[in-house]
Amino acid sequence: MIVRFSLNGAPVEVDVRADDTLLAVLRRTQGLTSVRESCGIGVCGACTALLDGEVVSTCLVLAPAVDGRTVTTAEGIAADHPVKVAFAEAHAYQCGYCVPGLVLATTRLLEERPRPSDDEIVAALAGNLCRCGSYVKILDAVRRAAAAGG
Amino acid sequence: MSPIEWFEQQIVDGRTRYVGDGAPPDALHARVVRSPYAHARVRGVDASAVAADVVVLLPGDVRDLAPYGCQIADQTVLALDRVRHVGDPVAAVAAATPRAAEEAARAIEVDYEELPAALDLDAALAPGATLVHEAHRISENDAAYFGIRPEHGTNVCHRFRIRHGDVAEGFALADVVVEEEYRTPAAQHAPLEPHAATAQWRDGRLEVFTGSHTPFNVRSDLARIFGVGEDRVRIVCPPMGGSFGSKTFVRVEAIAAALARKAGRPVSLVLPRAEEWVTLNRHPSRIRVRVGATREGVLVAKEVDAWVDTGAYADCGPGVAQKVGFSVVGPYRIPHVRVDSCCVYTHLPPNGAFRGFGATQAAWASERTMDVLSDRLGLDPLELRLRNVLRDGDVFATGETMHDVHFEELLRRAASAVAWEEGRSGKGLALVLKGMQTPSRASIAVERRAEGGWFLRCATAELGQGSRKALTLLAGELLGCEPREVVFLSPDTDVVPYDTRSTSSRSTYMMGRALEAAVADLRASGGERGEGEYRNAGGLDPDTGQGVASSHWHQGAAAVELGVDEETGRVELARAHAAVYAGRVVNRKGAELQNEGSMVMGLGSALFEEVAFAEGQVVNANLSDYEIPSLADLPRSLTHDLVEKPGAEVHGLGETAVPPVPAAVGNALGSLGLHVTRLPLTAESVLAAVDRRDGRDGGLA
Repeated sequence: MIVRFSLNGAPVEVDVRADDTLLAVLRRTQGLTSVRESCGIGVCGACTALLDGEVVSTCLVLAPAVDGRTVTTAEGIAADHPVKVAFAEAHAYQCGYCVPGLVLATTRLLEERPRPSDDEIVAALAGNLCRCGSYVKILDAVRRAAAAGG
Repeated sequence: MSPIEWFEQQIVDGRTRYVGDGAPPDALHARVVRSPYAHARVRGVDASAVAADVVVLLPGDVRDLAPYGCQIADQTVLALDRVRHVGDPVAAVAAATPRAAEEAARAIEVDYEELPAALDLDAALAPGATLVHEAHRISENDAAYFGIRPEHGTNVCHRFRIRHGDVAEGFALADVVVEEEYRTPAAQHAPLEPHAATAQWRDGRLEVFTGSHTPFNVRSDLARIFGVGEDRVRIVCPPMGGSFGSKTFVRVEAIAAALARKAGRPVSLVLPRAEEWVTLNRHPSRIRVRVGATREGVLVAKEVDAWVDTGAYADCGPGVAQKVGFSVVGPYRIPHVRVDSCCVYTHLPPNGAFRGFGATQAAWASERTMDVLSDRLGLDPLELRLRNVLRDGDVFATGETMHDVHFEELLRRAASAVAWEEGRSGKGLALVLKGMQTPSRASIAVERRAEGGWFLRCATAELGQGSRKALTLLAGELLGCEPREVVFLSPDTDVVPYDTRSTSSRSTYMMGRALEAAVADLRASGGERGEGEYRNAGGLDPDTGQGVASSHWHQGAAAVELGVDEETGRVELARAHAAVYAGRVVNRKGAELQNEGSMVMGLGSALFEEVAFAEGQVVNANLSDYEIPSLADLPRSLTHDLVEKPGAEVHGLGETAVPPVPAAVGNALGSLGLHVTRLPLTAESVLAAVDRRDGRDGGLA
């Protein structure tokens, strides 16, 4: 079936099977590598995208469900966006695998809560796992981004 | 707002290319068919229901290929007549899409005859236990660099011994002797990027793109498997999405290469998450410690019997047993020491390198015992340690004289971070002494680029530990240029000089020293190209444990402060602090991240990580049932010290803060009278310890 949606601000049209995941479509047909398969069951956050602005695990979203909607991945966030700058300046990464998902989840958090408390940061980002354990600097990055008006 | 450096920009934009991002368009996608039994005879594999356009690799296709293994050559590309663990590969397929490969894998029927299995250390060590392997062939891979001592007719594939002084004489001097036994479970590395490799044969040469930090060891084993010269095998290692030891030695590369050989096309194998738990875990351990001291708290003798469960294939388990063997002595002056540390086969999935490499298991047993001893002596645990820690010029149990040791300072800093002097209830301390790969060799080439700037060619792989950045910064310092003018190439065995491997927190130090030599060579030879090498020498006699265990010691301490909800057994961590000897820091943010990340991983091991088995089957092989730490698991305060000395050597920091953390948490519970001997320290086990302390039998029975 044909699915049409907006991807990082541009219209796309993809022929998908009913059981294709959004993750597979973004990676294999759109060549986007910032969405990464890891746990496959929606608990790690490595495949995070924004769907109509909300945080989703693309491994759990079936591709037909995005018809007519808006999808944003880390490639669609401006290179000098305050959240990206904050993650880079705070050095909030080691292997980097989790970072695109964290950038998106943080971007969404700061839209809802421009000055989040630490508890609100933890609640918003506890679903984005970093096995390298960069959490001290991830917290720092989110606080910096909030201070910079991210 | 400052502009983002290109390196960080790649990371935050998600443009870093991992192996799974880069398969050629004509690559087939592979899946592995795995045993559901822990031990069984394979009577037949029937692939007749598989679609005709799918490439199928069956035992008959690999029967002529040589067995491999980095220390003992005990593994075949597919299980031939016998499967030895749940998840042992029996067949593999390659198809046009991942979905077609999955369907083909399901269409393969395997006929098994189940056999008795040894599913844990106790069963494997029992008299008359089923043997996992009948013979033990020492590998020709250079990872088998020390004397490996299998005990034929048993499941022990290596016994490492330390014989230092005379323990009978030592215990005769003791006023107090404590004897304790500790256990640790299997844990899963769980890097967010799973194992992945793409293999292809071109003109009789094998090329493998793989997430690995042991490129030369993988090349060596693949060359032997396929019976070709090492110059016919090329290994390229792009950056990894984490490893923590899991991406060492041959994992998925041999199956991908054998499928590619049969397919005549590139084959990409990316493991589904669940298969990570049957590919490599951390060694479960059982460690019995007996230690004696005078009533003044001076250690006089120590005896240790340790067993690590290496699963169905040895992998680097003999090395882990050796490292457990000397690490378990602890950073103390003890005149009389006996250690027997055995690597044991069981019918569990293979266990191998895991951040800490045996030191976590060793510190759990050794440092918990120190606190039990301090209780018996009525001496503060900090004071007991201060009376015995190694200082410069002391002789360790291996006979080597210690230099550049800082345990006293590390201990004092850790204690002070949790306000030890204000009372020790709910607080725990632990130390670790961890070796670095000895002997080993690192080499690197520096070349002027036609476009300006410099190339660094070396086999140091990037797995998130930051070596690429540290070496780039160091090269900038040495070459007198901006770091952005230095281009660090990914390891490619066709174009980089030899290096032992990117493990044991050795790369920044060893490759850094080689880089200094390369820049000196460049200056002396015209300024276009320089090569440098650095070797560290030593090694231990496997039968006495005497020699040089490590040319350079990783030293750390941890302290925690916690509270326990005695109604539920829940542990609430208030503070965790690590103090690690750093020598000279090259990349400060990177160094901090290594400490913080190690502590977080140590807390996971301390509090909840355990691979759970039922009849050899992993029952929590997903990231929902097997939990790894999230942001919500951070203690209220997580801090650390990088202890530096002017003019000191660079010290690797990749693992040092992992091992002392579980022991410090256990000791903090001990300070509340809660004695738990097995990791992880779950609410259930803490509650049981509350009941034991209070003289209740607990439970509902």
